[in-house]
Amino acid sequence: MKRPPLLLRIGVLCYVGVLVGVPLAFLFQQAFRRGWGAFWTALHDHTMDSALILTAKVAVVAVPLNVLFGVGVSLWIVRHPSRFTRILDRLIDVPLAVSPIIVGLILELTYAQNGWFGSALSALGWRVIFSTPGIVMASAFVSLPLVSRQVIPLLRVIGDHQEQTASTLGASPVRIFCTITLRSIAWAVIYGVTLTLARVIGEYGAVLVVSGNIAVVTQTLTLNIGANFENYNSYQGFVGAVVLALMSVAVLLVLSIARQRERRRSEYLA
Amino acid sequence: MSISLNGVTKYFGSDLVLNEVSDEVPQGSLTALLGPSGSGKSTLLRIVAGLTSLDGGHVELSGRDVTDVPPRDRRIGFCFQDYAPFRHLSVFDNVAYGLKVQRVPRAQRRREVDELLRLVRLEPFADRYPRQLSGGQRQRMALARALAIRPEVLLLDEPFAALDAQVRSELRTWVRNLQRELGITTILVTHDQGEAMEVADRLVILNEGRIEQVGAPDHVYDHPATAFVRGFLGPTTTLDGVTWRPHEIELGSPGETGVAAHVIDVIRLGFEVRVVVKDHSGSTSWVQLTHEQSRRLDAQVGEAVVVRPRAEVFEVL
Repeated sequence: MKRPPLLLRIGVLCYVGVLVGVPLAFLFQQAFRRGWGAFWTALHDHTMDSALILTAKVAVVAVPLNVLFGVGVSLWIVRHPSRFTRILDRLIDVPLAVSPIIVGLILELTYAQNGWFGSALSALGWRVIFSTPGIVMASAFVSLPLVSRQVIPLLRVIGDHQEQTASTLGASPVRIFCTITLRSIAWAVIYGVTLTLARVIGEYGAVLVVSGNIAVVTQTLTLNIGANFENYNSYQGFVGAVVLALMSVAVLLVLSIARQRERRRSEYLA
Repeated sequence: MSISLNGVTKYFGSDLVLNEVSDEVPQGSLTALLGPSGSGKSTLLRIVAGLTSLDGGHVELSGRDVTDVPPRDRRIGFCFQDYAPFRHLSVFDNVAYGLKVQRVPRAQRRREVDELLRLVRLEPFADRYPRQLSGGQRQRMALARALAIRPEVLLLDEPFAALDAQVRSELRTWVRNLQRELGITTILVTHDQGEAMEVADRLVILNEGRIEQVGAPDHVYDHPATAFVRGFLGPTTTLDGVTWRPHEIELGSPGETGVAAHVIDVIRLGFEVRVVVKDHSGSTSWVQLTHEQSRRLDAQVGEAVVVRPRAEVFEVL
């Protein structure tokens, strides 16, 4: 194979280097500048650990919710198209287009104790804003379309002939869903899950507004990192950033595997 | 199992796709639903399977009204034009799917699937995946999968359309023989009149959501009930304002009875030869000859001839 022109190679490598390489190297250099021992101690910082646990909790709730929603709405849009589903199809994309800060503000104004809907909820003793449910809602909101965007095109390509054949063979709708539909879209769902997970773990703006950013209580890992930098505790911030970066790398790894499997799948769909 | 359709009517939005279609499909027959695209034939097949709801009329299987029975309770074998293989399952598991649903014990399932794979000559491919099969093999797999539940009716939607010419003609004969052997009531949908005449013992000709004619292939070909059927089932040509099949007219020497004309083209298609003629009024018609007839006649472009209906055609009429 012919090599790409020298200028192109230099250009691309410089661009990636300036944007990603150098900052990442700086990040790791800063996190490990005091040696392994200090890094280890910083890893066990109580505030950061609570933040990490909160992020994990939020992900454990928000991701499955969005997977259920994503698969369900995809089936609805593809298998039962109507004028309504065409509107729905567009609406799902709104969270990607709207700035996360706006998302956070809208949620806060609606669900805060003196808000539109929040006053009714607080009468029931439910607290949404400045509490975990609000963080879950903000995270789910910003990652809403990531599963369905993967599943909808695949469902369209697969068509419904396999499902209809299964029905003539005596299978019930539940059985058809489990043995045919879900098996066909499995890798697209996994791909969507990793995208959702990455977004939920990394979300800052929307969560900042709804959580109140209270250390140990409503502070997620990203908020914790931000707080450390603001409070001139930059070393702790760098360590948190490394943890977050490593989580992203893990998600990316799963993503690339899922992508490969999905490509193989789409090859025999063709 | 016999199938009876009574006044089956279906709209897509405001389009009437099936207009009070009624037919009795006898037990054990192989019926071809034949018509151009958009004639409603595939919709009718899906209605028999229960995959499409209807807006009027009834469907009966052996006298039992199944209009509101879901597909899974109809015991019908259905094959799509694209064969709809379960892509994530092996050939064996594809065929076993219906038996698994019926909770047939593992050992018996194994036996029955092996037997079916033998029947469709796919034994060596049991562990392969659909993507590793050729078109013809996929079709046979889909057939075995449909037959596994011992259906009383077999419905095939354009079963040969996606295959290349040689495989298609092989499979036609094979399906025809298999159907006779099993004696299973079968309806197949096709837009190819040659295929319908070759395979089916009964034709139902559909046009714009209505049945134009029903009957044995030979009968329908020789005695078309409507101009549409005549034109759809085979080539036609006009002579002196009358429509004929091109093999029903012949050429004679000038001076004999017939329409005076001259040859303007001779097209040789192997066994068949088409002689195109133009009469004095300027209208053209064409005569279909066998290779042998053409050699004897030796028609040349520009030669004067007469064109007339064959004598034996009048005997049939």
